[in-house]
Amino acid sequence: MRLLRAELLKLVTTRLLLWLGLLLLALEVLVISLHVSQDSVSSLAEPRNQRDVIGIAAVAALVALIVGVVSSAGEYGHGTISHTFLVAPVRERVVVAKVLAGALAGVALAAFAGVVAWVLAALLLSARSVPVHLGSADVMRPLFGTLLAAAVAGGLGVGFGFLVRRQTAAIVVVFVWLLVVEPLLAIANVNQYAPAHAVASVVVAGTPSSELLSFWPGLLLALAYAVGFTVLGAVAVKQTDVA
Amino acid sequence: MADAPPVEVRALTKRYGSTVAVDGLSFAITAGRITGFLGPNGAGKTSTLRALLGLVRPTSGEALVEGQPYARLRDPLGTVGAVLESESFHPARSGRNHLRVLATAAGVQAARVDEVLEQVELTGAARRRVGGYSLGMRQRLSVAGALLGWPRLLVLDEPANGLDPEGIRWLREFLRSFAAGGGTVLISSHVLAEVAQLADEVVIIHRGRLVTQEPLAALTARAGGGTVVRSPDEERLADELRRAQIEVSAAEGQLLVAAPAERVGEIAAAAGIVLHELRPQGASLEEVFLELTGGENR
Repeated sequence: MRLLRAELLKLVTTRLLLWLGLLLLALEVLVISLHVSQDSVSSLAEPRNQRDVIGIAAVAALVALIVGVVSSAGEYGHGTISHTFLVAPVRERVVVAKVLAGALAGVALAAFAGVVAWVLAALLLSARSVPVHLGSADVMRPLFGTLLAAAVAGGLGVGFGFLVRRQTAAIVVVFVWLLVVEPLLAIANVNQYAPAHAVASVVVAGTPSSELLSFWPGLLLALAYAVGFTVLGAVAVKQTDVA
Repeated sequence: MADAPPVEVRALTKRYGSTVAVDGLSFAITAGRITGFLGPNGAGKTSTLRALLGLVRPTSGEALVEGQPYARLRDPLGTVGAVLESESFHPARSGRNHLRVLATAAGVQAARVDEVLEQVELTGAARRRVGGYSLGMRQRLSVAGALLGWPRLLVLDEPANGLDPEGIRWLREFLRSFAAGGGTVLISSHVLAEVAQLADEVVIIHRGRLVTQEPLAALTARAGGGTVVRSPDEERLADELRRAQIEVSAAEGQLLVAAPAERVGEIAAAAGIVLHELRPQGASLEEVFLELTGGENR
């Protein structure tokens, strides 16, 4: 518990969350205003489309992943990991605390992104005199899904960061994986089982999709990835000297 | 294990690939004293201290704090305060927040943070980002972190590196007062002079092995303490000195005496012997250190 509080304090005493939060905000403003201004009123009036408008909030899961990676691999980069292990020499406790902190940071980012998306969409839609359906559970589903997905992604990022222990390398691998490797898996038709697709199936939270697993299998698979990377990360961290 | 020495290293070996950093090293230090941990760069000091602090895993052997491996200490920060070599901090975090993080993780009250900041005279800069700190300020921040849990033992790895003379003086005075308050200090350095004014005892290692462990006074005696003396009455002086249980050897018209100049002068005066020269002689501490640690290189 002390370690979890310490990890949360670490997250809020650098500007990482602030900058990533601002980035998220800017992206949402751009995407939502483009979407609402370009689409026709009749199309925007459909609840399904309004769900897509606020769906951009799901980027919070990606941001949570990056926060997770930075919070673990970054400590090796800055050399602060030695302070961390001097206070808490039982390293797996540090790993667990960081994974939980990463998950909570993910929830916070997703909540922020969700509120921004919802308010922005509501304002812009009513400005175009589109009937707003943002209150319906079906429309809001991806926002709730993102809360869960970002929590899993934040924890997964921490585990992966501990496994790699080099911040830049870890982030490069994440983006190469997301932009190149996982799309390529579509060729073999196995991409629905890949980590990002598993997380995405948590985001859509049961909205039918041909490319994604349904909610529960997707959530379990995403959790399995997060736990798997955490265990691998913890094993690597225990065996690695801190120089 | 109240009786266990504050630090005990037992047959510690650490290999990095084919490089042997520490090679069967054993020593223990005494509570309430300042022990200098000396050796040239690459002697294995940092590896030893990091093994002691649980940061690197020994290849074999062990390094214990109060009889326990570091990872088993119930209250690590309350037992050992560590100042590592070239400490790194998150540049965007303020010094105070850095300490708050440590205090939170260790369960130390937040008020203690301001206390240790005051103690290392860093209060004024506490809310500034560490990225803008000078080396001396970072070193003080490290010391502040080491003090957070009221430790009984301080372990410092090359703390004087990169410090200006004023910073070194501050650190020396600080460690003296820590030891005067009953604390134990283990401080490493590759320069003997840095700890010569501070340490009660020295542990000297070279190539990962123990060279010697002795009180600083013994090392000083080995180094200085000698006197060169010339006298027209050389033989009688030599006899007088030998009668006082002092080693004497004659060479090139002078005597080499294993005693301080004052003592030689007193004995000569008591015997009414004329002296033409009385000169403290012998290797400096640094020369003895180099001889001890460099001997096998020659």
